Amino acid sequence: MSAVKHQGIDLSQVPKPPSETVQPNWRKVLGLQEMGVYYALALLIATLAGVTAYIGQDNYLSIQNLSNVIYQTSLIGMMAVAMTVVLISGNFDLSVASVAAFSAVVLVGNAATLGFWPAAGMAMGAAMLLGLLNGAIVVFVGINAFIVTLGTMTAVRGLILLYTDGRSVSVTVPEVTDVMKAFEGGRHEGFWAILIAGFVMLAYGAYIGLRGATAGQRLRPAVVGYVGGGLVLLLLCWGSGGELPIRNPVLYMAIFTAAVWFTLSFTKIGRRVYAVGGNAEAARLSGINVTKYRLLAFVFCSMTAGFAGILFASRLRSMNPSGLQGAELTVIAAAILGGTSLFGGAGSVIKTLAGALLLYSLTNGFNILNLGANWQGLIEGCVVVAAAAIYTIGDKRSKSKTGG
Amino acid sequence: MQAQPPIMQLQGVEKTFANGTKALRGVNLDIAPGRVHGLLGANGAGKSTLIKILSGAYAASKGDIVWRGTSVRWDSPKAANRMGVATVHQHIPLVPTLSILENIFLDDDGLWRGSAAMRKRFDGLCQRMGYWLNPDLAVSDLSIGQRQMVAIFQAFGTGADLIVLDEPTASLALDERELVYSAVKQLSKVEGKAVLFVSHFLDEVMALTDQVTVLRDGVVVMTAKTADLNESLIAEAIVGKHVAALEHAPRHHATPAAGGAVPRLTLKNLASPGRLHPMSLSVAPGEVVGLAGLLGSGRSEVLHAFYRADTSATGEVLLDGKSFGRSTGAAVAAGIGLVPEDRNRQGIIPDFEIWRNVTLPALDGITTSGGVLSQKLERARGWTAIRALAIKASSPDILVTDLSGGNAQKVTIARWFFSDVKLFLLDEPTAGIDVGAKADILRLVRQLADEGRSVIIVSSEFEELLAVCDRILVMRDGRCIAERSADETSEHDLLLLAGGHGGADAVPATPPHFIGGRNE
Repeated sequence: MSAVKHQGIDLSQVPKPPSETVQPNWRKVLGLQEMGVYYALALLIATLAGVTAYIGQDNYLSIQNLSNVIYQTSLIGMMAVAMTVVLISGNFDLSVASVAAFSAVVLVGNAATLGFWPAAGMAMGAAMLLGLLNGAIVVFVGINAFIVTLGTMTAVRGLILLYTDGRSVSVTVPEVTDVMKAFEGGRHEGFWAILIAGFVMLAYGAYIGLRGATAGQRLRPAVVGYVGGGLVLLLLCWGSGGELPIRNPVLYMAIFTAAVWFTLSFTKIGRRVYAVGGNAEAARLSGINVTKYRLLAFVFCSMTAGFAGILFASRLRSMNPSGLQGAELTVIAAAILGGTSLFGGAGSVIKTLAGALLLYSLTNGFNILNLGANWQGLIEGCVVVAAAAIYTIGDKRSKSKTGG
Repeated sequence: MQAQPPIMQLQGVEKTFANGTKALRGVNLDIAPGRVHGLLGANGAGKSTLIKILSGAYAASKGDIVWRGTSVRWDSPKAANRMGVATVHQHIPLVPTLSILENIFLDDDGLWRGSAAMRKRFDGLCQRMGYWLNPDLAVSDLSIGQRQMVAIFQAFGTGADLIVLDEPTASLALDERELVYSAVKQLSKVEGKAVLFVSHFLDEVMALTDQVTVLRDGVVVMTAKTADLNESLIAEAIVGKHVAALEHAPRHHATPAAGGAVPRLTLKNLASPGRLHPMSLSVAPGEVVGLAGLLGSGRSEVLHAFYRADTSATGEVLLDGKSFGRSTGAAVAAGIGLVPEDRNRQGIIPDFEIWRNVTLPALDGITTSGGVLSQKLERARGWTAIRALAIKASSPDILVTDLSGGNAQKVTIARWFFSDVKLFLLDEPTAGIDVGAKADILRLVRQLADEGRSVIIVSSEFEELLAVCDRILVMRDGRCIAERSADETSEHDLLLLAGGHGGADAVPATPPHFIGGRNE
């Protein structure tokens, strides 16, 4: 209550901020709500590794098996990342799997006549148009996104049936299948890249940690994140014995997720997406074009679904009209496991990816342990509800602590 | 009355939250039946916590709650309710889709909806309160004032002996406040209930209460009979020092289009179907214009129309002689900043910290050369906002939802400090915030005007408008009905203009100088 408050918008007289040390709230940062999905993933992998070792099966932690899990995750993982963006913007998209399947059908149906790349472009275009349709109905007509995309999910699946006449379609032209194989099945030797990435993360983490320490700051969560991430990558390299094959879809997923993560965390676009989902009216009155952001989130999600569909079709080189049916639920489950709020304004794509990995590790574990697919649905469902319960209870607790 | 033993006594009540915040540090409070007890305090003084303890939402960490002579401990609002304490919360928790009748008897255990017995009880309530409502109207069709009455009926209908009213008039227009006042008088004087009346309005506390308790930083700093007090004594107790009333200082009044300069804002036939009749206006640089009017008079609609938040608005809008596009984004880019009326619904982003809320409309100035947002610069802006407006927060990392109302309001204002905003639109900037924060904000308005920025303020508190504005427009029924220079009008004058006649439908006629009484 000094002379400060008289200054108003002429801010030259406002005292400079204190040379503060950011006080990270470690209990919150490391709490279940923030880190729960990573703990769950680590716990699951440790359990599976322990059990497989105990009953004398092949090592669960073999590079072969791990890269398999990641490969299986890649398509759903990408769609889940895009879904997270839609959820953060305050909407919902049930139609992703149908759109992906439609894109796959368009590709397979036209690749023989048009060639792979034009057909892929056409498939992407079709997917984006569907996203635009979703978004336009939600934004301009004002119908709840759940209802709209429930409708388009069903309608697009119907469109697929009409397009294929209910039969499987496939490509047999060798020129096309060769491109598909190269596009989807290509492998890269990733040992050196991952080794370097691990060292860079470790070094960067150590750098900002040391810089903070000399400035008298406390340890920051980011330091631990970089150092920990770097160590995990180095551990992976050490365990691999010099060979780390990375398949194309995994590479696409990694690049895609990194790009989305960067955009959401560090750019104006990302900030506005969070703001639109957090409070659309406040965002609008702050001059943000809410309509545009909501619409583009749908287009982005469908575009990603279209890309996933192209990968899916390239993998099989044929497409069944009921392919990918039900995948939208896995996609949404992954986002929920990652702690994304269904009410918008909060979520992290890295955690979503961890959620997708968690789901596929479960599936993979069931296969490896020969537990039978019958148990799988029950366990997966319980995991999703348990995760949501942890997030909700944690949320309530953190609110009541600061209440009053 | 003096002999009446208190019905509710708090003895040394303390409340410490899990995060270590001490909200109450030993509060003693006696509430007697048949009296209205005023509870005041700045934002963050502990009023809300005290009310939550009384209503059973929180348990006290220490101390005794003595209810009718016996020490009690209630663990839920339901328990408190059953023992005879009813609370009307500030944000009226009614079910909008149900009828008035069903809302009033919401927790009634009867089997049938709208039974004859219920209707009979409802009629009895109306009779005793001297106020009639149509029991079958849906709550969503009611005005805010009528909803407040339904909430009071609900509390009264439980047969409670202590009724806690948490800022019942904060969002009400003047004539609607009158309704609440008469209800409070009826409850205390005729029905003999004890009423704890929480408010920021000193004049209504003076007029309505028998006893006043002022909280500051979790302790009682004053308990006295209202008859022995005056407004300035209460204000002093609330802020803990002498606050000079906002002087109506002679200042250089900017005049519209003085010397043929280009006006800051020009509105030509601005209109919005069903909301706003065509109006024209010209605002000079450095001018402060007030929009006076009751709730629903079209005050906010004017702002939203030319801020381009209302997409159906028509008419020409020029800022510094130039027109701009038809979106809020274009308005912001042109140099207009709006601080909306309902800060929770329209102002803050609840998941964001102070710094991310503050930087939202002007993200351009805080990027590195690569166009990436710099958290360091953003947090620096958060600090600047905290320092410049004396926001009570230990760091910009505090979530804006953890701030008290006045401090959250300051965050929504600080948002516009970091770009060249030429025209500030403040929609009820001081609603529901304490005396100290209010004075800060009004001082800020003058500061902005002195820097040559124009300000348009909407307010229900005409005294405030008179203190800071150069010119005041009076709105009624979606049209601008009068324009007055602030030097040549009075609160009484404005009240008469804004209240008008014939607009009061379900509301009993009220003498307009009831509120204006504070000015003598």
